[in-house]
Amino acid sequence: MILLKVDFNPVAEFTDFVHHPYLKLPLGMDVNKAVVYMWMAAALATIATLVIVRRGLRLRPDGAQTTAEIVYDMCETQIARAGLPEQGMRIWFPYVATLFVFIWAMNLIGFIPLPLGDRYFHLFGLRIREFQIYAATANLSVTLALTLVTFFATHIEGIRYNGPIAYFKSWMPSGLPAVRPFTPLSIAKGGLIGLIAVIEILSQLVRIVSLSFRLFFNLLAGHLVIAVFLGLASLLGTYFILPVGIPMGVALYLLECTLIAGLQAFIFATLSAIYIGGAIHPDH
Amino acid sequence: MALQGNVHDSARALELGLATGLGAIGPGIGVGFIFGKTIEAVGRQPELRGQLTGLMWLGFALTEAIVFYALGMAFVAYAIA
Repeated sequence: MILLKVDFNPVAEFTDFVHHPYLKLPLGMDVNKAVVYMWMAAALATIATLVIVRRGLRLRPDGAQTTAEIVYDMCETQIARAGLPEQGMRIWFPYVATLFVFIWAMNLIGFIPLPLGDRYFHLFGLRIREFQIYAATANLSVTLALTLVTFFATHIEGIRYNGPIAYFKSWMPSGLPAVRPFTPLSIAKGGLIGLIAVIEILSQLVRIVSLSFRLFFNLLAGHLVIAVFLGLASLLGTYFILPVGIPMGVALYLLECTLIAGLQAFIFATLSAIYIGGAIHPDH
Repeated sequence: MALQGNVHDSARALELGLATGLGAIGPGIGVGFIFGKTIEAVGRQPELRGQLTGLMWLGFALTEAIVFYALGMAFVAYAIA
């Protein structure tokens, strides 16, 4: 039986890069793998859009222009109109559309194997970095930063449009009983209202966790599962598993990059729009 | 009979598998419900297909995220155990 002598640890690809930055800078602002992936995504999103728009939009669009128009139309009708009221569209439509395109670009770049790994292999005497798939969004710092932008935007816009008192009052559900005539029953009801207030404040904070964890773990788990199935032979130390591992890995890869990459960007942008729209126009 | 071998590491591996697997049951049922109900709704009112599909993907992603909470906690327990 042939044993593979490869030291392969799928989890390490998502954790160890922090200790091997390409460029060490003070205050922990190292340039590491996640940063490079984010720069590439930002460059792809801006340059592709700029090139398509700047070379002239035509009345009879070609393929690239059609694609850009479909993406723009989806950002407007499906994402922004799903949550934002009319008076918030001018400021926050660009934000949610940017979120969608940026996250989508980050997710898609993550599925191209690039020579940015921490370890090296040798080919014809050349020392080449390992090819890896890694997405900037498979890093909690990236998704948490994006989530915090949405979080602060939500509450600042809510206070700006409604005033602080009306805005924080709008967190409470409508139809709560009055506490004013102080009887034992109404004081008990007041205690329940305090409990509801705590739950509502918690639900606002849980949004940070749910929004950032959803994107982070979707991409992390997706990449891990692909890596585990493609590397199953080396993890188990036998070649006989290859006919199972490789097709499963390829199938999961196709599912992730066609469906999940776009869907998660769509969900993140839609939920941002719904949160911001809900703060501008509280309906209860 | 006393357990032999690396009990600590095997318990960690079991924990990771069990936590993720049990956490996947609920979201699995939920995702099935969402797609099934959408198919049913499109069957009743095919003209609403566009709107229903958007809602379906939103519900799908919200439900699917629950399995990742289980996975995240499993990883945390795996790391600190």
